[in-house]
Amino acid sequence: MGRRLIGGWAALVYVFLYAPILVVVVYAFNGGRQVLNWEGFSTKWFGEALSDPTITEPLKNSLVIGVSNALIACVLGTALALSMPRMHRWVRVPVDGLVYMTLVTPEIVFGISALIFFVQAGVGLGLKTILIAHVVFNASVVALIVRARFVGMGESLEEASYDLGAGPLSTFRQVTLPRLAPAILAGGLLAFTFSFDDFITSFFVSGAGTTTLPLRIFSSLRFGISPVVNATAVMILALTLAAVVIAYLVLRRTGSERRGGALPGV
Amino acid sequence: MRRRAEERVGAGGPRYPAWLSLPAIAWYVAFFVCPLAIMAVFSFSRREGFSDIVYDFNLENYKDLLDPLYGEVFTRTLGLAAVGTIATLVIGFPLAYYLARYAKHKTLLLLLVVVPFWTSILIRTYAWLIIFDPDFPVIGALDLLYTTKAVYIGVVYTYLPLMVLPLYAALERMDWSLVEAAEDLGDSPLRAFRRITLPLATPGIVAGSLLVFIPMMGEYLNPVLLGGDKTIYAGNLIGQQFLLSRDWPFGSAIAMVLILSMTVIVLVYARMTSREEALSG
Amino acid sequence: MIDPGWERQLTRRGVLAAGAATAFLAACGGSSDTSSEDKDDSADKTKAAAELGGTLHYYNWADYVNPETYKAFTAETGVKIKKDFFVSNEELQAKLQGGARGFDLACPTGYMVQILADAGLLEEIDWKQLPTVEKNLDTRFRKLPYDPQDKWSVPKDWGTTGFMYRSDLVKEKPTTWREFVDLAKGPYSGKVTVLDGIPECVGSMLVMLGHSFNSEDEGEIDEAKKELIDLKPHLLAITSTEYKQMLIAGKAVMSLGWNGDGAAVAAKKPAEYVVAEEGGEFWVDAYVIPTGAKNPTAAHAWIDYVYDPEHNSLETEYTYYGSPVKRDLLEPVMDKKVFANDDVFPPVDTLEKMEPNSVSPEGTKLRDRAWTEFKAA
Repeated sequence: MGRRLIGGWAALVYVFLYAPILVVVVYAFNGGRQVLNWEGFSTKWFGEALSDPTITEPLKNSLVIGVSNALIACVLGTALALSMPRMHRWVRVPVDGLVYMTLVTPEIVFGISALIFFVQAGVGLGLKTILIAHVVFNASVVALIVRARFVGMGESLEEASYDLGAGPLSTFRQVTLPRLAPAILAGGLLAFTFSFDDFITSFFVSGAGTTTLPLRIFSSLRFGISPVVNATAVMILALTLAAVVIAYLVLRRTGSERRGGALPGV
Repeated sequence: MRRRAEERVGAGGPRYPAWLSLPAIAWYVAFFVCPLAIMAVFSFSRREGFSDIVYDFNLENYKDLLDPLYGEVFTRTLGLAAVGTIATLVIGFPLAYYLARYAKHKTLLLLLVVVPFWTSILIRTYAWLIIFDPDFPVIGALDLLYTTKAVYIGVVYTYLPLMVLPLYAALERMDWSLVEAAEDLGDSPLRAFRRITLPLATPGIVAGSLLVFIPMMGEYLNPVLLGGDKTIYAGNLIGQQFLLSRDWPFGSAIAMVLILSMTVIVLVYARMTSREEALSG
Repeated sequence: MIDPGWERQLTRRGVLAAGAATAFLAACGGSSDTSSEDKDDSADKTKAAAELGGTLHYYNWADYVNPETYKAFTAETGVKIKKDFFVSNEELQAKLQGGARGFDLACPTGYMVQILADAGLLEEIDWKQLPTVEKNLDTRFRKLPYDPQDKWSVPKDWGTTGFMYRSDLVKEKPTTWREFVDLAKGPYSGKVTVLDGIPECVGSMLVMLGHSFNSEDEGEIDEAKKELIDLKPHLLAITSTEYKQMLIAGKAVMSLGWNGDGAAVAAKKPAEYVVAEEGGEFWVDAYVIPTGAKNPTAAHAWIDYVYDPEHNSLETEYTYYGSPVKRDLLEPVMDKKVFANDDVFPPVDTLEKMEPNSVSPEGTKLRDRAWTEFKAA
């Protein structure tokens, strides 16, 4: 009974999550110039978007930043998550505070302060500054997600590994990483998402001509809703879906390894 | 009390050297602490001419903020964040619960929650622009475009996935046989939920609430696009000082107040929940 | 079909001296000889032409260039164009002041040219690279008060800030700011937009109240602010970019906006653009080259390119904003309807009651705070 009710609710939430996206997809195939005025099925807006370098170039920028950001954030965030539980109180509390601060600080505040900082430091605005700024937030995202998994993991296996003479690095690789991998991957995916999605921080720390896709879309939104934006949105969605399928396969593989391994209940 | 906290931390996962944290800390200090420090200095400076900044320590900007008008903006922002957080929790919890306890293809379904979040935040907001358009079937007739209601809907929609993920992460670690056992032993589902599920879900609820509350406090885009830039929230007020009014010192002061008030709220919240956790655990 | 008012303005300088806007226009006087010293090096020109290439990074208002012009310019010069957009002069200023470098060309409004130049954010214009401009620029657009030596800028377009309405949906035919505001608060509540611009909105309200567009009186600005705050609950949106579409779609029926947008709406739907009887803003947008430009040669080439009367006509036909090119050069090449359109080239008696935005730092600061309160309310 309860189960069916909750299942129904979950289905409704999925409708809520996907209906707006579906709307964009459907209208992207509208041949008409007016978004809401259906004039027959057409794929011409996709061709238009793909042949527009002012869309393809920002897309490339966003991908480069998103992936590099996710990689750096995973390394920094995971290392931080591993080191934190055993830190001395006097170190851990401020570091913890710092991690939360990077998450608490509104993007608009951080974006503006980062801009001021880069200008004062004489760093030229560009892809580099967008990446640097994105990593600040995303390292924390990864750290939190990894730590949530890490602290509940139990320590006996690692202790055994240390007792057998393994160093932190090989212990990590052989004992911790396999169990932590899904969390790191989830953190990395989320980090990519945030970066790819980011508008406000990028808006302030982007330089002349280093436009990311959200910035490009925002500037075209100023013209009102348009079929080319619709088509671009659908292509991003397709790209996203491809990435999700990959992530799903990876997670499933680690999942089956886990089931096959000697670590029940993790 | 303190001893107990130490012990709990001691049980916090495998042992790794503290220096592993150095790269991240260096990154934070260089690209987060420094910028904010510079901004803090700005907040005590003064605007002169069309936008020049004069560094003479004064509290004028903060005094100006005492105008009830700005208090109203902050209250409005708090309202948006609070209602938005509760709404995402109410909407998201059953979903996370379903995913963790009953769903067959957990990873797939979870990723389906994330997918909307992967598409540009602008596209998702833009989708609502289409839906709220007066020409859109049924919903268009509700006249929601450029209203506060539209902003609320947009905000909940934008941040819902952020709530579901940590809720799921917490619930997923649960041993459902415990719940079943409790139910079998005659606990009502509600009681079982309160005694077993809720305490275990609390870290997820805390993390999820923080993850959505925080960006909502600094929300900028939804009011601009779905609210027609009419009703402004704290984030818009700050953005305006930098984008339009060119009063960087005043904008910095507003930013400082926003950060401080949010930090206080988060700390109080974290303290309250951790005490609850300690009591129930 | 030549607009008589405009002709009069061209030929009779006595009329020009009358109103504030025309004084602005006339400020250049008739001195076309002052730049003669710059005219003698064709060697430089060929050198510049030889270097032409690469990318032109153009920072502009959205939808302010005929898309055909981009293509034609690239085809002719081989210079690729990269575009970025701003919504307000203040955003442009914030971005440049924030340290964004690498823009080769931008188009702020006159008053902002002055602010940017004072802040050291502009490169000087090299008139040697602008032979077509020298030849075709209407002399009344030389040495305007915001750039008295033509050192920092070259005029791009000019126009007015007034209001527009869908004449099929608004029957009252408003002609004054007061009527605009009253109708907005009355029968058309919720279907009205205003620009997301500080000088435009505050100034228009000041004018409605019988004050100067450029008032620096705290009390007067306060009055204007109260008018805006009273108006706010009745607004559909505060936007400088989307109102054109909203009016065309009928989502909005009245908008405080610019003449070119008014004419653009009128080209698609029954609509009227109105310069309010109380007056309003007269503005000139100008090409400038921001500090740190990587390709100033291409920027000069662009400016010179669009000053060809045929090229410029394409611009006016697209944006519906007045062209600073000599009127007699435009006549043979411009679409007749656009050329005779009063909204595009307002008659001189309309311009007489208007003022350019030219407020001091103090006035700007007062306006900024008023705007913040309006937005926060």
